[in-house]
Amino acid sequence: MHIRSLFYFIGEALKSIARNGWMSVASIAVVAITLLILGSFMVLNYNVTLITEDVKEQVQIVLYVDEEASGEDRLKLQQKLVGHPQMEEVRFVSRDEALERLKRQLGDRSYLVEGYEGEDNPLRDSYELRTKIPEDIAIVAGEIKEYPGVDYVDYGSGVVEPLFQFTGVVRWMGLIFMAGLAVTAVFLIAHTIRLTVYIRRKEIMIMKYVGATDWFIRWPFVFEGLILGFIGAVIPIIIIYYGYNTAVAWAQTNIYFVSLVSPEDIIEEMVKVLLPLGVILGVLGSSISVRRFLKV
Amino acid sequence: MQICRIIQLTAAEKGKYFRGWFSMIDIRNVYKEYGTDIVALKNINLEIDRGEFVFVVGSSGAGKSTLLKLLHMDARPTRGSIKVFGRDITRLKNREVPLLRRNLGMVFQDFHLLSDRNVFENVAFALRVIGTPPREIRKRVPLSLELVGLKDKAFKRPDELSGGEQQRVCVARAIVNRPAVLMADEPTGNLDPNTSMGIMKLFHEINIRGTTLIVATHAKELVDHFQKRVIVVENGAVVSDRERGVYINAH
Repeated sequence: MHIRSLFYFIGEALKSIARNGWMSVASIAVVAITLLILGSFMVLNYNVTLITEDVKEQVQIVLYVDEEASGEDRLKLQQKLVGHPQMEEVRFVSRDEALERLKRQLGDRSYLVEGYEGEDNPLRDSYELRTKIPEDIAIVAGEIKEYPGVDYVDYGSGVVEPLFQFTGVVRWMGLIFMAGLAVTAVFLIAHTIRLTVYIRRKEIMIMKYVGATDWFIRWPFVFEGLILGFIGAVIPIIIIYYGYNTAVAWAQTNIYFVSLVSPEDIIEEMVKVLLPLGVILGVLGSSISVRRFLKV
Repeated sequence: MQICRIIQLTAAEKGKYFRGWFSMIDIRNVYKEYGTDIVALKNINLEIDRGEFVFVVGSSGAGKSTLLKLLHMDARPTRGSIKVFGRDITRLKNREVPLLRRNLGMVFQDFHLLSDRNVFENVAFALRVIGTPPREIRKRVPLSLELVGLKDKAFKRPDELSGGEQQRVCVARAIVNRPAVLMADEPTGNLDPNTSMGIMKLFHEINIRGTTLIVATHAKELVDHFQKRVIVVENGAVVSDRERGVYINAH
């Protein structure tokens, strides 16, 4: 295709989009909404996956040592824990260390725990345990609970499973919703192009009479669909970018401990997925019309 | 004494000698049927040479338009062969049709001008859509408009022109790509007699400049006036074909 023809096609396509007015707006809007929903689900999915992985890694048993336990019991306990076949890591956290940690976490407000050092320390000695396989945590916790010298054990029971379920639901809902909207988008674009074909039937007839090739006649319509799809993809990318930035900013000031995918990564992913999808929807819609209504 | 001589022809001479080998248009045993019972054309045999001016006459529905449509590949014949420039166009692939049409200009009864652009752009459109460079367009469109006598109306819109002028724009558009053949289907059907005569004179002038003209019409006075070859079509068949003819009604 000659560069001059390319400009001609794009020019004609833009003229058509302007002339079709509200139909063009509607087509762009449906593509935008479809891709906005897809994009939102994608963003949600990335973050849920990230958090799940994060949680999985952090899954550990915290074993609090009974304060009354004798030194012998404590030694036995440690030996048993280290000797446990499913144990990956055993870390002893003394009450002093626990207090230091708390101070660090409190940061500026560390004065709150001042004066609790030494004998006044309200915290307990504990073990942080990591199993070789995160999923085994419930069984292992059940076993070691019965060891002598154990006050109680704590592990993040019931955190990972619901997260996984949630991701699955999000994926399916998104897919079904998306499929319906994508069909609507293709249909609307096809309809817009059909309208263009109708409006320009005289031009098309003259083009045929003076010997324009079929593809020369078709290209402007294909470009029209392509441009509609492209604009329809750019809008949700912009919305998601600003929306996600705002959400991340909010999360950073209100919830300290969650890890989120960075906005740059999100936007890169959106451009990679939504832009081609928008263009594909657009070209698909126009191809349907070009084939069915443009008899060249 | 030398009896036999072998002559090496120059390119120009080749053109001169071989041109006569085939007619520009050669229609052989052509039938056109729609469905099983409607016969639009039956057993048409015609030869039209380069540079001829031909009137195709006959009453409405006699098959004149169908004949032009077959030449322009708007429709394909049911049977028979149509050779244009020595090539059987009935066997043309669909994608070759546009290339044929670039050599066959067409003018209609209704002008088919684009009302959203001026005269210049209407004519330029025909060149633009076949990928002509802009430089060439700027050169050829004024020449074409000058020939049809509308040079000073280039920037008017079609609705600001009279019927005759609009038809001239169509002629300019049909010849701007310098086709070998110009066909017109009832070009004066919507025009008054004076204006019609002007259009015919324009066709005559285009013909003198070397373009083959095929004009389907039932404007008797015009046909009689020009004394050109007249082909009479009635009920889908050629009933008369004479040089320097006049309009005769078969009925």
